[in-house]
Amino acid sequence: MLRFTLERLIGMVITMALVSVMVFLIMEIPPGDYADRYAFRKYSGTGVNVTEADIQAIRADLGLDKPMMLRYFDWIGGIVLRGDFGQAFAFETSVVKVIGDKGWLTLGILFATLLVTYLVSIPVGIFAAVRRASAMDYGLTIFSYLGLALPNFLLALVLLYFANRWFGADIGGLFSDQYADAPWSLAKVWDMIKHLWLPAVVLAWSAVAYQIQTVRATMSDELNKLSVTVARARGVPETKLLIKYPARLAINPIVSTIGFDVNRIFSELPIVAVVLGLTELGELLLRAYLDLDMYVAGAILLLLTFTIVFMNFVSDLLLAWLDPRIKLGA
Amino acid sequence: MTDVTPETTPTKLTAEERRRQKFYSASQWTLIWWRFRRHKAAMVAAMILAVMAISGLFAEVVAPYGPTTRDAKYLDGAPQIPMFCDQNGCSMRPFVHGVSTKRDPVTLRAVSVPDPDKRVYVHFFAKGEANHILGVIPNTRHLFLLDDPKAKLHLWGTDDLGRDVFSRTIYATRVSLSIGVLGVMISFVLALIIGGVAGYAGGVLDSVIQRVTEVIRVVPIIPLYMGLAAAMPKEWSTTQVYFAMTLILGLFGWPTLARRIRSQLLSIRNEDYVVAARLAGARPARIIGRHMLPSFTSFIIVDLVISFPYMILSETALSFVGLGLRPPTVSWGVLLQQAQSVRVIEQTPWLFIPAIFVVVAVLAFTVIGDGLRDAADPYSDSH
Amino acid sequence: MLKVENLSISFQTDEGMITPVQNVSFAVQAGRTLGIVGESGSGKSVSTKALMKLLPGNSRVSDEARMTYTDKAGREVRIDQLRPKGRDIRRLRGGEIGMIFQEPMASFSPVYTIGNQMIEAIRLHQKVTKKEARAQAIAMLDKVGISNPVGRVDQYPHEMSGGMRQRAMIALALAARPALLIADEPTTALDVTIQAQVLELMADLQRDLGMGMIFITHDLGVIAQVAQDVAVMYLGTIVESGPTADVIRNPRHPYTQGLLKAIPSLDALHDRLSPVPGDIPSPNERPTGCPFHTRCSQRLQGLCDQQLPPTVPLGPNRSVACWLETPEHRTGAEVDAQQQIKQQEPAQ
Repeated sequence: MLRFTLERLIGMVITMALVSVMVFLIMEIPPGDYADRYAFRKYSGTGVNVTEADIQAIRADLGLDKPMMLRYFDWIGGIVLRGDFGQAFAFETSVVKVIGDKGWLTLGILFATLLVTYLVSIPVGIFAAVRRASAMDYGLTIFSYLGLALPNFLLALVLLYFANRWFGADIGGLFSDQYADAPWSLAKVWDMIKHLWLPAVVLAWSAVAYQIQTVRATMSDELNKLSVTVARARGVPETKLLIKYPARLAINPIVSTIGFDVNRIFSELPIVAVVLGLTELGELLLRAYLDLDMYVAGAILLLLTFTIVFMNFVSDLLLAWLDPRIKLGA
Repeated sequence: MTDVTPETTPTKLTAEERRRQKFYSASQWTLIWWRFRRHKAAMVAAMILAVMAISGLFAEVVAPYGPTTRDAKYLDGAPQIPMFCDQNGCSMRPFVHGVSTKRDPVTLRAVSVPDPDKRVYVHFFAKGEANHILGVIPNTRHLFLLDDPKAKLHLWGTDDLGRDVFSRTIYATRVSLSIGVLGVMISFVLALIIGGVAGYAGGVLDSVIQRVTEVIRVVPIIPLYMGLAAAMPKEWSTTQVYFAMTLILGLFGWPTLARRIRSQLLSIRNEDYVVAARLAGARPARIIGRHMLPSFTSFIIVDLVISFPYMILSETALSFVGLGLRPPTVSWGVLLQQAQSVRVIEQTPWLFIPAIFVVVAVLAFTVIGDGLRDAADPYSDSH
Repeated sequence: MLKVENLSISFQTDEGMITPVQNVSFAVQAGRTLGIVGESGSGKSVSTKALMKLLPGNSRVSDEARMTYTDKAGREVRIDQLRPKGRDIRRLRGGEIGMIFQEPMASFSPVYTIGNQMIEAIRLHQKVTKKEARAQAIAMLDKVGISNPVGRVDQYPHEMSGGMRQRAMIALALAARPALLIADEPTTALDVTIQAQVLELMADLQRDLGMGMIFITHDLGVIAQVAQDVAVMYLGTIVESGPTADVIRNPRHPYTQGLLKAIPSLDALHDRLSPVPGDIPSPNERPTGCPFHTRCSQRLQGLCDQQLPPTVPLGPNRSVACWLETPEHRTGAEVDAQQQIKQQEPAQ
């Protein structure tokens, strides 16, 4: 187990290193560099005539005249050694300050969504497999198609519309107005939980549609296994039988795809954030892209991807713990 | 029908036997087509998609007006449904009521009010706005128009600038579907090259490519697209943006398909017929293209079909938040930019009609993909 | 201890109704082994699954079927009247009737240890603590000849070798001390040497524990080693049954005769084996009349292909279902049959 963990840990670090290179390259793509944009932002509309020499000075000041390789190591070194993600020039402060506790909000949304996804898809998928070809089974197939086809922003709008009609206007966003800028308190956390269900349901929608099908398929396979018949032949009661044997194995594919679910959720987050007025990393990422605030965008992209890589690692470990065959085959 | 002995000549075969003979001698593709044809949902989906594609292709004829043509008399106007009867009796030719502009006494805004006594008739393939089909063939005919050249028929209403939602949606269909096609084609070519090299070469090259694929798969795709889309210079023309978008979507759409090609190639790399081709001195590109790919073409086609929805949904999402195509280009996503708030659902719900197109197109591709997968599976029950 | 009468089982499938078991009757006595022999598809597994009510939902057991089991306490239980998910049948499963299947690997759930699954079986049928159940499980593993049972009890199925898994499978079936053991081709998947060991083990266990046993196989040679009584099944019917020694020495049904000729023996190394010609028909193309007539060299044209043969008693516990054995045909048929065999031999 120790060796297995270590191997996966090294794999995770290598993937993270490669991801950081890719994110850095994306940050470098926009035409003109940081200094151009910095000068433009700082002086545009002030009437000051910016010369090429001024920009050169800024460039040298920020260390942007160095070769790309060096700049990459400066950037990643700052992140790894000092937790410094660089400057957010649109906000004229450091990226860390801009991100602030939005990272935690994002994790809150993520885990709420995962919770909704698994609480719905596992029991429903198992039930659908046990009651094959029932009306509910067909209903679920249609739901799954819709789950894959309905753009999430549309779903967000529709849910928001009904939420507004049924629960009043104060439903979008993550907080009620009085808590938006208030310091953290128990009341604020409770307020957030009350707002969290809507983004969680919207983001969980397609994941639920997908995972129900996965659970249903695995469960159907497992139900036909000889080991289930053998267990029945030793007198195990039906409900216990279902839970202990096929259902226990039917959650394995769910565990092994946690990373994909997190990926899907983060992928949809910026779009859903626009509609629901969420104030977390997805929305910040979108704003950073629109403002070409690439250090902020890079930092967020990196954080989101690292979370995914880490969740992949967690899912590997969980799976090894759930399925004793894996340690041997690893 | 009765006495069919083994010596019977082929001309004397019964209908059943002829059917069977046809079945046994049919090519792989004929078999797939036969099986696909029995998949009713997939056939319906294919027809819907064909109608969409054709209307998009001939948008200049199908749409009564240009995508940016404005009707100042009918802003934020509700859909007009042609009818055959009203309080003044019935007519064989469908008509709508004419509109006149009045000022709202409270808000003082100009509002369009239908005039129940004024009929404007619908004509089919009538002459209207001049344009060029696909920018080439000159055309003045339109699928339907009103006989009064001053009045306009807004089948699905208008937006805040008085632009016809039906016409815009039809033009957007062309853009969105074509981006999907180009994006899938680009990612297919990339997947073919990358997956082909990895699967055929194996070894170190394969592990490197696997690593890179792994990294791309782990980054959330929409934020990744957004980063690239954000980098498009603001001064680019709409055409440049259009092609840049197809390139961006294609650039990261390949990993799934490349994995499929790689694993299939790896599994048949040491089959006798491949080894024989290699010993005969065929070049790798020929071995892959002539000998290996045909054995799993049907699976590749299925994968291609089911990757359309991702392209379409990605384009829609990017354009929706303003990072993809930009007005005056119209795509489903661009049109839905106007439908970002709950207020739109309450006041001008017809602006959501393009969303129906997105859902239907994605559903259609998914259902066709499922149908093709069943049809292409040699183990599925056949006769 | 177990008596099965007039058991018919049918399945509703996409191609229509099929009936893999038709009007089968047999009995098992305490301390004795009944061997059921037949080719695959002859309905031998399906009939024993019916005893445990383990048949899938699309199956139906005929109303005339009577399955009477006498449990350890001496009470008679009508298995055919029990609900398939009820408490009463669960009491029988494992506790009264144990079952061993063909594939030991697939019989165990891969994610629990051998011990976990054995302890589960024990505690379902006996009021014992986990610790006591574990001790019993270890003792049973020892009894089936697994070395180091204390260490093995916490192993996963994939950590064992094939032969050991088979022994563990037997231990699992016997964990709750059933009075009747149903073994469904338990040695088919094993090497010949291990097969012999397992057969010997099962015979020993049966003697030690005083169990009744139903032993299903397609190999008449195996039957001779373990079973005191035998029932030969063909296409869902029992064509011949009786004490094993009798049946092997003096087979009366053409099918049994064919099976015996297909067994290689050291005495006749230079003779070619003669398998039963033809294939077993699929259950949905069931022949009319005697199910075996399509492959029978002694069939009586106009009778065997028209009417089901009656079951003819040949002595205590001995019977055969063949027209040739009915009093009307007996004498003439014997002659006919011998002539037919003589005519065929030069041709072969």
